[in-house]
Amino acid sequence: MESSGTPNHMIDLSSSAAEFNRPLLLTPGEDLKGYILGHVGRWSLFTITSASVLAVLLIFIFVIREALPFLTQFSLTEFLTSTRWYPEGTPHEFGALALISGSLYVTLGALILAVPLGLSAAVFLSDIAPFKVQQICKPIIEILAAIPSVAYGFFAILVLAPWMQKNLHFSTGANTLNAAVILAIMALPTIISVAEDSLSAIGRDIREASYGLGATRAETMLKVVIPEAHSGIIAAVILGMMRAIGETMVVWMASGNATQIPSPWWDLSQSVRTMTATIAGDMGETPKGSDHYHALYAIGFLLLIFTFSLNLVSEYFLSRVRKAKGR
Amino acid sequence: MKIGYRQAFDKTFTITAGLSVFLMVMALVIILGPMLSRGSKAVFFRGTVEFRKMQLAIFNHGSSDQVQAETARVEKAREPVYELLENFQIGIDVELLTDKTREIYRELGQQLRQMDVDRETYAAIRAKAKDIRDTLSDILESTDKDYVNQGIEVILKLSDDPDFKNTVAEQFFPLARMYGENVKNIDLTQRDQYIAALEEVKDALRKLFGPLPGESTPPMPKDRYGATRWDTAQQSLHQLLWAQAWVETKPGESLEKISVRRDDPQKGQFAGTSLEPLFSLVENNLDDMLQPEFTIYWRYFLDDWVNSHYFGGVGSEIIGTLLLTLLSMMFAVPLGVISAAYLVECADENMVVKIIRTCVNTLAGVPSIVFGLFGLAFFVLFLFPRLNMPSKPCILSAALTLSILVLPVIIRASEEAIKSVPQTYKEASLSLGAGRFRTFVTVTLPAALPGILTGIILSLGRAAGETAPILFTGAVAMGPQPKSLFDGVKTLSYSSLDIATGDRLAMMAPHKQYGVIMTLIILVLCLNILAIIIRWRVAKKLRGY
Amino acid sequence: MEDNQPQEKPVTQMETQSPVMEKILPAIHIKMDNQKQVTSGTTQDKATCNRCGIISSKEFSFFYGNTCGVKNISMDIYPCMVTAIIGPSGCGKSTFLRSINRMNDLIPHTRAKGRLEVNGINVYDKRTNLVNLRQQVGMVFQKPNPFAKSIFDNVAYGPRLQGIRKKSDLESLVEQCLKDAAIWDEVKDNLNKSALALSGGQQQRLCIARALATRPKLLLMDEPCSALDPLATTRIEDLIEQLKKFYTIVIVTHNMQQAARVSEWTAFFCLGELIEYDKTTRLFTKPGKKQTEDYITGRFG
Repeated sequence: MESSGTPNHMIDLSSSAAEFNRPLLLTPGEDLKGYILGHVGRWSLFTITSASVLAVLLIFIFVIREALPFLTQFSLTEFLTSTRWYPEGTPHEFGALALISGSLYVTLGALILAVPLGLSAAVFLSDIAPFKVQQICKPIIEILAAIPSVAYGFFAILVLAPWMQKNLHFSTGANTLNAAVILAIMALPTIISVAEDSLSAIGRDIREASYGLGATRAETMLKVVIPEAHSGIIAAVILGMMRAIGETMVVWMASGNATQIPSPWWDLSQSVRTMTATIAGDMGETPKGSDHYHALYAIGFLLLIFTFSLNLVSEYFLSRVRKAKGR
Repeated sequence: MKIGYRQAFDKTFTITAGLSVFLMVMALVIILGPMLSRGSKAVFFRGTVEFRKMQLAIFNHGSSDQVQAETARVEKAREPVYELLENFQIGIDVELLTDKTREIYRELGQQLRQMDVDRETYAAIRAKAKDIRDTLSDILESTDKDYVNQGIEVILKLSDDPDFKNTVAEQFFPLARMYGENVKNIDLTQRDQYIAALEEVKDALRKLFGPLPGESTPPMPKDRYGATRWDTAQQSLHQLLWAQAWVETKPGESLEKISVRRDDPQKGQFAGTSLEPLFSLVENNLDDMLQPEFTIYWRYFLDDWVNSHYFGGVGSEIIGTLLLTLLSMMFAVPLGVISAAYLVECADENMVVKIIRTCVNTLAGVPSIVFGLFGLAFFVLFLFPRLNMPSKPCILSAALTLSILVLPVIIRASEEAIKSVPQTYKEASLSLGAGRFRTFVTVTLPAALPGILTGIILSLGRAAGETAPILFTGAVAMGPQPKSLFDGVKTLSYSSLDIATGDRLAMMAPHKQYGVIMTLIILVLCLNILAIIIRWRVAKKLRGY
Repeated sequence: MEDNQPQEKPVTQMETQSPVMEKILPAIHIKMDNQKQVTSGTTQDKATCNRCGIISSKEFSFFYGNTCGVKNISMDIYPCMVTAIIGPSGCGKSTFLRSINRMNDLIPHTRAKGRLEVNGINVYDKRTNLVNLRQQVGMVFQKPNPFAKSIFDNVAYGPRLQGIRKKSDLESLVEQCLKDAAIWDEVKDNLNKSALALSGGQQQRLCIARALATRPKLLLMDEPCSALDPLATTRIEDLIEQLKKFYTIVIVTHNMQQAARVSEWTAFFCLGELIEYDKTTRLFTKPGKKQTEDYITGRFG
């Protein structure tokens, strides 16, 4: 201390120690300036931040605006209940039921595959895997989520479809099953990460209580932890569903694009056509402003409503998870 | 329940869970494996002399001296092949022969006139030549071998005729002799089949070695060169060697389609003909004729494509992708980071902020194709005409659409990053008398930068890979590079789609098909790995602290 | 940022300071023969200031939402002395300390009642100049929190905020502050190294140097040694000993020995209330309240 504590260099403030040489109060001018600057800054920041609100509003407004001519001219019931989609025929027929059912087919097919797989993977990552394995699996999940959808579609049509045709003897490789399998793989990362988060959010204490009563790991997970984490798991499933239903490239490339409801209903080797694929496939060849064009926007609007309501539901469940976490 | 059952159940549970992770990893390997391995063939392959010729002619890469020397060498090696082909053609392609005879006859006339022979000799020689010509034409049309042989004998008898000495007419005799030779082993009634098969052979040879000698340069660049790669050369060789034939395997039963070597001594199409040696000649000397060398075609990532990806690389797509994503980031990054800063630093948790958050989440959940619809309806059809800009899909509208798509990603990542800056940092800065704005810019932002950067890099990858939003807002499959903000743009993602579903030429070159998607995947993976590394280093630094 | 109030112009008899420093920090000057003056100055100040505190709190209460952090604190803190605040955890001692330079503003849903005056001005006034307040009331935190910048940039952060840009001024100022904080010898060779590479004790002294660089009148220390090992603690305590000649120091600690070692006055807080406030020697030897005695002798807390 003495070596460095050269008092010669110390600054003597004793004479003014009791006196503050800078005013502690703002002058009225400074006060006003600060007030104005603060508010201007705040409001400009707020304006920029509300860009996302504006974007959502604009998306709704413009999709509805373009869909409106269709919704007013054609019967909504026919749109929702007829399976006859002949937009270029005379007269035009716009029955989207087959498209809606196509979307549901591939989405539900994907969920049936992805939910059990995703949940058990989440359980593995949260409770079973050693730390090292977790560290390796996280990036893998990220990469799985990062692969562009067009690459998945490319794989579906050029690798999986020929394989299915050859080995499963399907009449066409581009079919419901193909699209569902690929969508399941695409939905996996979402399901795993959200479910794993909600499983980890259930604290150690509950697990320890169960282990303390002599339960095995399987019993602890199935009877205590998973029921406790059900909000997050439901949110995971819904988010996975949103990913699958909104996906375009894969279903366009892999589902075969046949406007039909498979019959018999369980025959997944038949081709279907989804809403997203219809928009992607038809929009390029449709003159702007035609009935067909507006009908495609009506489908887009339907999709938007689907995903928006699913989003609200998932928000609700996720907020419950957050509340549980905060508790 | 017995404890044994319970333990067995527990084991099963553990194994099932582990298995599902294993399945997931396998899915990744199965999906990426074929695309990366097949795509890598676009860069690593055995290139033939044809490849080097093509590179020199189209892209001006490589040394012209070397290529010329090589060309001379392979042409020498290919010479016997073409010779065999030509000789055989004489025997089989009647029209060619007939034309040739007529031409000789005509030339003879001209020659005689120049030679100043008297009228009678002239008439006699012409008459004799006419005889030969007619006989030749006759036997060419005939399918009766004996008749042909007789005719040839008759003609050859005339070969000693002094009148024909030193005239063009001498050419009749080798022609006739060769025809006689060729016809010996040929069933003349099947001549049409020979002609069809010969076309197949010629086609295969064109695919192997480029246009045959004497043919004019084809209009399509892809037809101007033979097999540029050793693997396609092998395919063309197979096409050359093997013919599809309907064969009666068992008497009385229906025919079966099998592959037969064209020079098979029993069933081969060309068995016993003068063309027979060609096949083994090509098969055994293909190395000399194509000079394959292991090539790393790294310019694949720089070169423009030719003939819709049949030749060349993906340079223009890479540039287009980079232009588009960087442009969209220019819009999205400032918006996203400022929004995140506001949400974390300024906003209390009131109703307005809740609405903003819900909107960000909604935006993240909107299907990508709906972004495409919105971009078309809003930017292209609504906004641009009102700002006196061309109302057509272009790179600007695509970039704006993509920027809205990645906005929630950037907001969320930046928010997390800013939140994770320790409170003590901010306190230290505030206690030194910095204002809130100053504290944010000088302390919080630098500390949050790696996290924000990670988010930006990830959304860069997302923007590069998205296809649906740019389908109708600015992506094109062909065309020049964009020169202004109002041109269409070629991107890797859109080309992948086009090349996988629509492009017939590309289907003939699978390595190019897979090459495009490989490039896209590598681009996205590199961005992701970069993000993972940044995050890992930050984590390490924080642990050290 | 800066102000040149004529009535506060100091006696300018400086030898080493540059004109810029003179303009920007008019009240600061270096005295070569300060040793004698200081001692005389302090005794004089003690006499005058025993009557009026540099910090004086009157019925001050602070609330987090509905829970009360501290309530009805009334005390005066005297200049050029070390005042220690002791008490069991959660008794509100940190809350009180952080209220003095309004660090608690960062926590949402808080409010204050009563008066907390620094130099006669209520800091919870609407018109308080927070920048000037915090510049003149330095703070050292519980955990060393250097910025992830170089050592030089850490110390120069405050002066730069005040508008000092000239390299030579900054260099001399940084050197001085590092010497004052007794860390100069250890870091003088690698001022450009990251501050995070230093040890915990060094980091804390760097934080003190950083706080000194803004030329505060008051130094608030929030358990500055709680994250440090005994050796580093000793160095910090020595440093406080040195600094108290020139600064008014308020230190929060849960270590009673430390309070007894470094402080002249000690306040004992319990459950958000001020129980006893007295000269350290008296408080530790003859506590006036039973609660204090129990705490000191270790019967609770």
